[in-house]
Amino acid sequence: MFKISPLRKRQFTGGIIGVLIGVCAILFFTLKSSEEYISLGPMNEGHDDMSCVTCHADAKGNLSQQIQSNIQFAIGIRESNVDFGTQDVSVDNCLQCHDRPNDRHPNHRFSEPRFKEIIKKIDATTCITCHSEHNGERVTIASVNYCMNCHQDLKVEDDPIDVAHETLIAEEQWNTCIQCHDFHGNHRYEVPVKLKDTIPMRVINNYFKGGEDPYGTDKKYIGLSEPEWIKLHLQKE
Amino acid sequence: MKRLENNPFLVIIVLITSFLLLNSCGGVPEEKVKEGEMANNAFSVEEVLEMVAEENDVTRTLYTKAIVGKGKLQGMKFDEDWRKDDVEAGPLPALFLRGVATSIRKSPVPLGLYLGSDFPVNAANKFEGKQAELFAKIKEDQKPQFFYEEDTKLHTAMFADLASAAACVTCHNKHPQTTKDDWKLGDVMGATTWQYPKDSLTYKETVDVLNSYAKGTVDIYVEYLNEIAAFKESEKPTIGNKWPEEGNYLPTSEVFLDSVKKLTSYKTMKKLVAVRD
Repeated sequence: MFKISPLRKRQFTGGIIGVLIGVCAILFFTLKSSEEYISLGPMNEGHDDMSCVTCHADAKGNLSQQIQSNIQFAIGIRESNVDFGTQDVSVDNCLQCHDRPNDRHPNHRFSEPRFKEIIKKIDATTCITCHSEHNGERVTIASVNYCMNCHQDLKVEDDPIDVAHETLIAEEQWNTCIQCHDFHGNHRYEVPVKLKDTIPMRVINNYFKGGEDPYGTDKKYIGLSEPEWIKLHLQKE
Repeated sequence: MKRLENNPFLVIIVLITSFLLLNSCGGVPEEKVKEGEMANNAFSVEEVLEMVAEENDVTRTLYTKAIVGKGKLQGMKFDEDWRKDDVEAGPLPALFLRGVATSIRKSPVPLGLYLGSDFPVNAANKFEGKQAELFAKIKEDQKPQFFYEEDTKLHTAMFADLASAAACVTCHNKHPQTTKDDWKLGDVMGATTWQYPKDSLTYKETVDVLNSYAKGTVDIYVEYLNEIAAFKESEKPTIGNKWPEEGNYLPTSEVFLDSVKKLTSYKTMKKLVAVRD
């Protein structure tokens, strides 16, 4: 009934082996213990214990439905395309664990039209501008002079620091901002009043790379762990 | 053996099989609005933003006059650093609005709300570019301004934010970081900016916008009440049905929202049920 030409036998055997290897690869890479092999890089500081699915939720529909929908969209018989495989990761994914009512620089504020020119220089509407994931670090932005984009005209009433904020700005010492102030304002700590007592850039850079927190361990809000996130966002659905 | 492309029968079989495989499950369901719903109940984005901006005016005026203004007379404190651990106070009206905006942002409704001015207390809230240009017009005639933000594809509206209570004028004039100290009652102190991604909304989407705003007011008000519950040194007002004008009282979030609804519902309802040609 099903006869293989002797001339095609090698290709047939190769095909069968290929399918078997493919099935084994799919089985292996979909195991939870294999997540590190398909990750784009090491998880950022604090995210080590998280599963892929915490951020990369399955897209709607099965694979066949997703292919069909996207082909329909490509040939113009469907209004919108759909995510393929997993849903796109957005700011909302980050905020599900890291949203804080007192964030000094909440993302959504920068969507206002008056920040239009500024976000071309530094897109503060999204977390990944500074916290690009899969880099094994905490802060991934190349330069810490980002305060200059909004705070050029800063004036501090009864300035408490020995070298006035206005002087630091005039001298374009933008590194000094982060040596006193954490960007999101999530630490309880005494801000130094003498420039010599500020946190050295070496220590700040180490913190950005994933090292010890120089602003202290007394945080106002702690991001959710994966079990807490599951409890809050999945179990209530 | 013939190559695949030279065997029409095989090509047809492959095509039919692929087509069946691809269509056997149906596509991912599209979230389409029923045509009837869109045709009969759609509001323009301008109408919806006007509705929610009016609700905002009433809510803010009520909070500023009845809570902040009268509360201060009872010794209650309101501070821009109200969230700090060592500050026992409530949110000032501008921060109340920011709290509402934050809550809306967390909801599934894609509505943006911001507050700005040409003489803000906080320099970060100063209008620039298109907003500064339109705010100059708002100051002249107090009429709302609408525009479409091409970059972000958002429909944007700006509404005058008036000095509606004595508390607005006195606090801003006396603030150590004020950039203008001669505000008068009725002045256009700033403007609210609202954004929405669609040019028209269904009835349901309109109600969702109004509800997300109402929920925002409750959320920030509840945060204020929670802050009071954590006061260690200051006297705590009694939370219930009474308002600060009667003594050291504050209304519950339900009582506060009920009052907002009483003041706004007739006007909003009239627009929601208006017969459309």
